Amino acid sequence: MIRTENLVKRFDGDTLIKYKDITFEDGKSYVLLGASGCGKSTLLNMLAGVITPSGGSVYFDDEEMSRKSQKKKDKFRIEKIGYIFQDFKLIEEMTVEDNINVLKLEGVKTSGMDEVLSKLGILQKKKKKVKQLSGGERQRVAIARAFVKAPDIILADEPTGNLNYEIGKSVVKQMLEIAKGKTLVAVTHDDRLADLFDCIIDMNDIASSHSESEVELDA
Amino acid sequence: MLKFALKNMLTKKVKMILIIMSIVISASVAILAYNVAEQVNDGLINTTSTYDTIIGPAGSSTQLAMNTLFFTDKPLGTISYEYVEQLEADSRVNVVIPFAMGDSYNSAKIVGTKPAFLDGKELKEGEMFGDVFEAVVGSSVAKKFGLSIGDELVTSHGLSENGEKHEATPLKLVGILDETNTAYDNVVFTDIETVWKVHEHHHDEDEEGEEHEDRDEDHDEHEAEGHTHEEDHDEDEEHEGHAEEGTVCAIILKCKTLAYAEEVKKEFASNSEILTITPAEVIREIINNVDLSRKIIYILCVIIMIMNVFVISTITILNMYDSQKDIALMRLIGIGTGKVNVLFLIQNAVIGLISTAISFGISRLCLHFMSDFVASMGIVLDASKIYPFEWVIMAAVFVISVLPTLICTVHISRKDIIRN
Repeated sequence: MIRTENLVKRFDGDTLIKYKDITFEDGKSYVLLGASGCGKSTLLNMLAGVITPSGGSVYFDDEEMSRKSQKKKDKFRIEKIGYIFQDFKLIEEMTVEDNINVLKLEGVKTSGMDEVLSKLGILQKKKKKVKQLSGGERQRVAIARAFVKAPDIILADEPTGNLNYEIGKSVVKQMLEIAKGKTLVAVTHDDRLADLFDCIIDMNDIASSHSESEVELDA
Repeated sequence: MLKFALKNMLTKKVKMILIIMSIVISASVAILAYNVAEQVNDGLINTTSTYDTIIGPAGSSTQLAMNTLFFTDKPLGTISYEYVEQLEADSRVNVVIPFAMGDSYNSAKIVGTKPAFLDGKELKEGEMFGDVFEAVVGSSVAKKFGLSIGDELVTSHGLSENGEKHEATPLKLVGILDETNTAYDNVVFTDIETVWKVHEHHHDEDEEGEEHEDRDEDHDEHEAEGHTHEEDHDEDEEHEGHAEEGTVCAIILKCKTLAYAEEVKKEFASNSEILTITPAEVIREIINNVDLSRKIIYILCVIIMIMNVFVISTITILNMYDSQKDIALMRLIGIGTGKVNVLFLIQNAVIGLISTAISFGISRLCLHFMSDFVASMGIVLDASKIYPFEWVIMAAVFVISVLPTLICTVHISRKDIIRN
């Protein structure tokens, strides 16, 4: 279970985003819907420990993670979280296989690679360089890298952001199929995909953008 | 980790090759310059330690020392063999070795001397020359011309390859010296009498061909008057420095004590036609000059290494910033900063190792090719000779290759990963 408490992220300049407390239950899939700039990706990055909240906390099974050292957060992310990025975050010049094997640097076993690639329909592309793949195939590679380590939690930031609707839908379906029984939190601005998830969260209901001066006045 | 590092390197082949090339060029120059300077110095010192006095015709002391000890340049001329006999009878002198030069076998110089001149040099094959027209060759000569015991060596008149061939008086190869890594490796040694006989024959042929009977008589008369052949033929370049019968180009001495050596030197100093030198003093003077060159080489090495630091650092920093995306990517998926640092450190360590190894290989290859070139100057460069300081240079090159990476990766991986 993932739980947030009084999360706040302050940005350079005058803005900050305040989040209402949210709980993501085990084994369910969530989709965060909202327009660009509403703080969806920021929330995901705080959950993943990629960025540190300016205030508040993130709990994983009641263990407070956001205040831990970057080293511990990295370790937690590599062991427990499968993170799928909007822009894939793949090494273009390397093969699909090598992009997944990069996890071995941290001792993650990638023996399930073929099975995951097969489920995603890209096993035959294993030896191909990422730069030779289409957008949909790249996104599948990113998904495969996230799933190969059998994580407890999957975070997906706009997993269909660079794909057309049809391909995007098929990718999300495959992702949800593999993620069955795990906690999945996805971010998208495409509400047509929302019905595929267990729970839909409207970012407008949980995040609000403020200026620093506004907050000071309230105080 | 190493496997992944190598794969990551292979994705940037061109860049890696350029980095390696830039390191190799500067590092090999530094290693080569140091090695050559040291070997030249060592070669000069080793050769002078055996004899304490050299006697030759008046002229340049440097030329006399270099010609006699390193077989470079032309002989100054000739002096009478009577001096050899006089010194052999002198109780203050332990070793008296006549030295004559003037002919060549292909490009290898021929030295007429006594077997004692080769004392301390091991024979790889065959035996020492004993009779007239027998010869022993240095190891490089044997290797270069594919010689084996029993071969006949047709020598040429003069020190150039184009000299008239002494077809009628070939030398018989009876021994091959073991490799000494000195100028001896490039020389053909024979008895002093062989040189005289070859010239006598050559001279007879000349005179027959040119019908210069009158001149022959003049020649005999002049010889009787104590004149050397060289003096009679000042204008004749081809005959310059050739030892005719009864003459030598130099006499090498080892006296019983240094005091005796000084006495002998003083006695000969009164003779204006004779030059007496102490090779150690002459060579020390040469080394002092070489030492200046050596200092210049060291300064150049330091400058090259400093340039190395800048070039390698710049390329590494550019390369690392180019890899920022990859580093950020790895950091985002949870690869720790330590692992990222180690990964890039391994990559640059591999680059450093490859560059250092290639630099070393190139420096040895250059030494090998330079050896043939400088051998004609009497110095043999041994490509297998490694000085301890060369390891220091190589270690420095390696550190220079790795250090900037360490600084860069630490700097980059500490940056806010989401910003990369």
